[in-house]
Amino acid sequence: MSNAELVPAEASTTQGVRTDQLFINLGPQHPSTHGVLRIGLTIEGEIIVKAVPDIGYLHRGTEKLAEVRNYHHCVVLTDRWDYVSAMPNNLVFCLAAEKLMGVKATPRADALRVMMCELNRIASHLLFFGTYGIDLGAYTPFLYAFREREMVLDLFEMLCGARLTYNYIRLGGVMVDAPADWLGRVKEFLEYFKPRLDEYDTLLTYNPIFMARTQAVGIVSAEEAVNWALSGPNLRGSGVNFDVRKHDPYCGYENYDFEVPLGKTGSCWDRYFCRVSEMRQSVRIVEQVLAKLPDGPFMATGVAKIPKPAPGESYAHVEASRGDLGIYLASDGGISPFRMHVHAPSFINLAMLQEKLVGMKVSDVIALLGSIDIVLGEVDR
Amino acid sequence: MTNDELFATLQGRFPKLEKATVQVKDYLTVRIAAASELLALASFLKSSSFDMLDMLTATDHLGPVSMQGFIRQMNFNPFLPDGATPQIESGATTGYPYRPAMDLLWSFISIAEKARVIVRLEISRDATAVPSLVGLFKSADWQERETFDLFGIRYEGHPNLTKILTPDFLQGHPLRKDYAHIKDRFDE
Repeated sequence: MSNAELVPAEASTTQGVRTDQLFINLGPQHPSTHGVLRIGLTIEGEIIVKAVPDIGYLHRGTEKLAEVRNYHHCVVLTDRWDYVSAMPNNLVFCLAAEKLMGVKATPRADALRVMMCELNRIASHLLFFGTYGIDLGAYTPFLYAFREREMVLDLFEMLCGARLTYNYIRLGGVMVDAPADWLGRVKEFLEYFKPRLDEYDTLLTYNPIFMARTQAVGIVSAEEAVNWALSGPNLRGSGVNFDVRKHDPYCGYENYDFEVPLGKTGSCWDRYFCRVSEMRQSVRIVEQVLAKLPDGPFMATGVAKIPKPAPGESYAHVEASRGDLGIYLASDGGISPFRMHVHAPSFINLAMLQEKLVGMKVSDVIALLGSIDIVLGEVDR
Repeated sequence: MTNDELFATLQGRFPKLEKATVQVKDYLTVRIAAASELLALASFLKSSSFDMLDMLTATDHLGPVSMQGFIRQMNFNPFLPDGATPQIESGATTGYPYRPAMDLLWSFISIAEKARVIVRLEISRDATAVPSLVGLFKSADWQERETFDLFGIRYEGHPNLTKILTPDFLQGHPLRKDYAHIKDRFDE
């Protein structure tokens, strides 16, 4: 049942009493909007009749900035889109630029890239898990989620010195090789982390109050999800099997054995459950990478200090934590990209809000908004 | 389905369709001759399993953007003193066809066929109006607003073609290559 059907035709009358329309601002400074998102809500009683999302508070014009920097400098810009999971951002730019330059990353670099992206997916989904609980009034899971997320960030800090903006994946390979003792620490973390996933399920996933607040809310049908071009767990929550790692494999993802968790009804709970299940799959992938990490150089040869790729165009996309993150690059033969376009999943996923919120109750806005899992750095770029 | 098979299918339906001279690497890129052909092609794609409009953007082919005014230290070599002549500067490349044209791009995905078609259309920089695809694909809504905001391209038939990313007081369209920033109260 869609949200529109849940609302009676005369939504504005409650027992014959007509209420005035009221305009309220949600955000831009509100902890539940996960950043600087403003939504102008027009409500009648508890029911929303109009929702106007207002974005752009964090617009830094990275597409323009890329046009005046060289390719190595652009990798630094990419960290700032989805600052919660920056590894896939680094990766997708490098893949697009490597296609233009005709460079191929070494097998060891590919394996390390896969491992970093999956570890970062765990960190990003843990942040979602914790904050989604807070959004709906469960404070405790947040503390558990951040305990484990901290461990992943510590691992990244040990390796590349940064906790959020890594700049670790570089053109042609990665910044530094992963030492053997660091790989041992990753193994330790995975052993620690696996039982925690079951703990999360008892804490939040099957909590009756949590399920009641999310299972019949924000339902997106499969057709709608495809029409809105949603991606990532938002699309798979609606039961559409689309994962870039399977659909258009990169970095050797075809060699790893993992499943794509799918939702059934497309409700907020399904989207949530997809993310929690994806963490298990990420653990599986990281274990496989650790088991068969190839030896060899971590950086390809033939990447110029100031690359000048031949004129051409390329598109690369990866399954980032929030969905299908793509980069369209055009080169005119100069030292800077002639044009860079970011296909940002958060931006496209957020667009459905203006339609989906109409007819919902005010208290469900946060449930839907939280389940889309946006990062405003990526929405505004 | 390989790219060649896909192109043959499309050309069977739209004989005037041609492959773009510059292909986006690894994906089929086709070029339509006029904006009037867009809606027919898009609705055909939607009915033949390419039911996801993944990406929509544009490129301004006027010429490269000068680094001057955007970057304080243009020298990539940090060991040279401030104000030293840059070792390499960005600039126009000889042989690249710079032209006053807007190159629009639509990218359609077929989840079932695991395929992607990129449709391109070149229009003049001055008369920048093309039909909107919001009626067919809702995902076009915000992306067309974004392209309008950053390039000034008017999508005819869009229900709410307003600025989305840049602030209301900003003059001009920042991703046009001839964009000049007018200093406002937020500049230092």
